[in-house]
Amino acid sequence: MITLLKCEYEKTRRTYLFLTVLGITLIQLCWAFYGIYREESLKWGWMMFLYQFPLVNSFFLPLLSVVISSRLADLEHKGVMLKYLAVITDKKRIYDAKLIYGLFIVSLCNLISWSATILFGYIVGFSGAVPLRLYLLYLLFTIMPTIVVYQLLHALSLLFQNQAVSFFTGIIGTFIGLFSMFLPQFPILRLVFPWGYYGALQFIGMFGWTKETRMKNVYFSVMEIDWVAFGILILMGIALYLIGEKLFERKEV
Amino acid sequence: MNEIVTTTNLTKKYGDQTCVDHLSLRIRENRIYGFLGPNGAGKSTTLKMLLGLVRPTEGTIDLFSERCTPKNRIKLLKQIGSLIESPSYYGHLNAKENLKIFATLLQVPDSNIEKVLQIVRLDKHQKKAVSKFSLGMKQRLGLASALLSFPKLLILDEPTNGLDPAGIQEMRELIKSLPSQYGMTVIVSSHLLSEIDQMAEDVGIIANGRLMYQGELNQLHETDSSKSLEQIFLDLTGKEQSL
Repeated sequence: MITLLKCEYEKTRRTYLFLTVLGITLIQLCWAFYGIYREESLKWGWMMFLYQFPLVNSFFLPLLSVVISSRLADLEHKGVMLKYLAVITDKKRIYDAKLIYGLFIVSLCNLISWSATILFGYIVGFSGAVPLRLYLLYLLFTIMPTIVVYQLLHALSLLFQNQAVSFFTGIIGTFIGLFSMFLPQFPILRLVFPWGYYGALQFIGMFGWTKETRMKNVYFSVMEIDWVAFGILILMGIALYLIGEKLFERKEV
Repeated sequence: MNEIVTTTNLTKKYGDQTCVDHLSLRIRENRIYGFLGPNGAGKSTTLKMLLGLVRPTEGTIDLFSERCTPKNRIKLLKQIGSLIESPSYYGHLNAKENLKIFATLLQVPDSNIEKVLQIVRLDKHQKKAVSKFSLGMKQRLGLASALLSFPKLLILDEPTNGLDPAGIQEMRELIKSLPSQYGMTVIVSSHLLSEIDQMAEDVGIIANGRLMYQGELNQLHETDSSKSLEQIFLDLTGKEQSL
């Protein structure tokens, strides 16, 4: 597998893939930091991040996943290379290597964004120490939906030569995920689509906001974590992996 | 002489349509086997089945005297080099970088890269991005990647497609030299009779998925000395088309 991963890296040389994904991550961070950098934010800074970032993530991380999965698969489709690769190595291994490599890139972006968030908090002087336990939970609840979303897009990118299929699925899914956060009366949206889990696993709530007082009396609090949703997400991830790999293995290239 | 590839009743159906119909090929070691047939006769599908890219509906494949199964497929295929449907490769990488990826996957030494680039005469263009290659250069790169592990068996699907006359001549000479120089067996498919006539020692003629003739090319010439090879070929394939 290490050999295959090494080859995946070699294939992405001079494709500017890393630059593209770093660019998207940077835009994500600028957007989030710009939105949060207000004087009143300093008091609640750490919690505000945890409250607001899932919304930002629900848009940017699926977008990042579409870009990475599609670019990695398109390298093979464009060059009609799957035929060649399938003769010299097992198709399952091709599927897995591409998946691991893509997940490595997307998880690296997650980690960069997570670390930058903490760094930003210290630089601007958020009150108190970073609530590390909550930040680690947040990292887990960010990476896991991203992995599941990526699995679906990875399968579609490899199964369909036309990358518009994974691209449009990714875009539509992203909007479903985004809107599901504003439509709590439809909890099914959060649980059926993997994009909805950024919202379903959000565990920080904002209270005390009114039109009149706005942020004046606002406070943030830890809510109950939906571990059932987390379990469903894990099962969804396993199912998507098994189905995707099987379909790719059976696909005649 | 040993048979390196044997198929028995190899069949591929897509729905009601039979692409390859009970094909029993016998390919002898260290020979050039010309797989001849009109467009759409089932040549590529047969070669893809040999390489495990398409699952047969029926029949068996023996490679190197071993029955090919999903379990031993990759092990057997490691001894085969192939060029199927002219891939375009990773266009943003150069020839050497492309071959480096394949060499890593095949676990062959890097020194093979230089050797095969010299064989296909691409050594002077090894630093050029493949996207800037002409069709002929891409075909030669395809042959280089097929030769990379110096396999026992080489499967080439229409390797001269899209080449100019000089390129065809060059590719033909290169293929002809492989059995004697490297001890390889070559299966080369084509829809051009003249090409197979100048290259192959054994020939299999396929039409509408059925094997119409298999044997030495010389014997085919001798079947009816009053007819040209082209006429014999047309008789064989025409007979099947009219069925």
